[in-house]
This record gives sequence, C-alpha cells and structure tokens, in this order.
Amino acid sequence: MEFDDKVPIYYQIKTVIYDQIIAGQLAPGDKLPAIRQLAVSLTVNVNTVQRALREMIDEGVVISQRGRGNFVTSNAEIVEQLKQELIDRYLKQLYDQLHRLNISDEQIVNEVTAYIERQGDLNDDNTES
Amino acid sequence: MTTTLKVENLNYRRNLKRILADVSLSLTGNKIVGLLGENGAGKTTLMRLIAGVAKNAKGIISVNDKTDLATRKSLISYSNPLGGMATNKRISEVKDFYQQVYPDFDEQKYNQMITFLKLDESQRLSALSKGTGEKLVISLTLARQASVYLLDEPFSGIDSMSRKKIINSIIQWKPADSLMVISDHYVSEIAPILDEIVVVKDNTIVVHKAADTIREESGQSIEDYYESLYGEADSND
Repeated sequence: MEFDDKVPIYYQIKTVIYDQIIAGQLAPGDKLPAIRQLAVSLTVNVNTVQRALREMIDEGVVISQRGRGNFVTSNAEIVEQLKQELIDRYLKQLYDQLHRLNISDEQIVNEVTAYIERQGDLNDDNTES
Repeated sequence: MTTTLKVENLNYRRNLKRILADVSLSLTGNKIVGLLGENGAGKTTLMRLIAGVAKNAKGIISVNDKTDLATRKSLISYSNPLGGMATNKRISEVKDFYQQVYPDFDEQKYNQMITFLKLDESQRLSALSKGTGEKLVISLTLARQASVYLLDEPFSGIDSMSRKKIINSIIQWKPADSLMVISDHYVSEIAPILDEIVVVKDNTIVVHKAADTIREESGQSIEDYYESLYGEADSND
C-alpha cells in the first residue's frame, strides 16, 4: 500500500488495521497475519509492524498470546469504543471546517440530513439499475 | 543491547584528498538503516571500509565488538559481487563460486529468492539487464547468513517494478536478528522500510535519526527533511 511519508509509518499501520476491525474485515477474535507477512503485504519494515502491534496491544485492541500469535480482541465494547472514536474524529473534521465558514449548527444538521437523503436516493438508483 | 556495528573517529584520505573526516557511528539491533548522501559524499567509501574491501583508514571499525579484518569480513555480507566476475559466466556459475567462497551461503534460501525474482540461472552476466543484475546481487548478498548486510545503491538506475520486487525480497529474507545498511541518494523509494537514516555530507555524518521520529517531530517526509539539510547549507553560503 501507499503510505503518506509525512506521518509516522507505525501510526498508519495502526490506522489500516483499526479500519479493518471497524469495517468487520477483521472480526473479534480473528488471528492477525504473522508479523513478517504483514510487513511484506504492507511493504514496511518488520520493526515498524512490531511497534504498531505493541501500541495496539497497549490499547487493548489486540491480544497477544504467547506462541500462538496476535488476535483481535473479542471484547465488543473495545471495538465499539474504537468505532466511536473514529466517528468522532471524522465528525470533528467536518464540523470544524463548516463551523469555520460561519455555518450555523442548525444549518449543518439540515445540510447533513439532506445530503444523506440525496446519497440514499443515489444508492437506490444504483441498486435498481 | 550490544552494538552491532561501531565506527569510531574514522578518517580516510586518498591521493591527499580527504574522503572521510571524523566519522563515528553506532548501530544496534535488527534495524534497516538508510545511508543517504549526494553522489561523492563518501557513502560507498564508508561501506567499503566497513566491509574491509578498502583499507588503511585511521580509526576503529568493529562488528559485534570484533575489530580484526577476517572476523569482520565473515560477519558482513557486502553487495559488491558482480564487478569482478567475467561477463561470460552464467548465473549458476556465479552461485557455485559464492557457495565455495562463503561457508555461510544458504542455497535453499538463494533458490527461494531467485524463484521469487524470476531469475534464469542459465543466463550469462553479459545478457542481464541492470534490474536483473541487481536482483542477482541482492539474492547472492542475502543468501549469506551474516550479522550485517551492506547494500550499496541497490536501486540506482532500475525500473520501479524491479525495485518493488527487490524491496519485497529484503523484507522477506533479511534475517530477523541482522542489521542492514542500504545506501541511496534518492530516499523516497525506500523511506517506508527504513528504521533510521544516516546522512553523509561534507565528508562526515551530519544526521543519525529514527525515521518515524523525523516524521513525528518535523511533520516532514524523509525526502523533504533530507533535502532541507542541503537547502540550509545553500542559504548559509
């Protein structure tokens, strides 16, 4: 995959794996690929993968089992919390940008609702065709 | 952790010209380190001195705390092999030569690599493209079981597909407990696989830092950071 070289690579590896967990591509309790396999598939250094794993283990999202490998936590609460953090982060970006343009909270809510409705219509069209 | 590779106060002159001045460097652990610098900065000379191919420098070089040349050579695998080979030799003959010269040559690993890199052992050296030649060099260098691997500009002048294959081979076949130093004057292509960078400029080492620390502290890409070292010098002139 392509990395943004301005951002620490270990942090980007974490983001990739957290995204997969939240999207359900990695289910609770799933085993993560071996470290070297992850390094090869992401084209990064083994040490960098190890650092990313260490942080994910510290944050309780990944559980390391001696001799067996690394697993996604089966604690649904932690995954839910991870998801909430990500949603908050994206909403904050959106909110801060619109707020900076002096758009009122009420209008932001209306615009978001209207946007979602339009997207919904588009998706319906796509599924019908 | 013991120091894998240590260079202390290294000074080297050739024909009255100073090539390296007061170079000190300490590398530990199983890292991949980028040795960066402009052409002519002294990267290749530093590698050749560490590998023991170039001699008569003042200073101390040690690998796993061993300073004597023979031991050092046995611990280091240096990517300098094809220059001395007759160009009518076939890849299989070059491999045979390596196997005889280096007791630590791992044939099974070599075979895995040349299969992955799609090298045809019956080809003669004279028929190899630049990219294929580099793939062979990498396979031969990594097939040795060494403590330190020195790769001298493995990506210069080769196409991006070959480059990706070589980078993949490095990640896959670099022994877990070994140190690797890769020199390059163009950093963006290898930045994601580097633990640390060492920059050689004006005959000495001016920077030795962890790659992710640079990204974290400066918010810059490794390439921008590296170029800024040269930009500042220009403005001081």
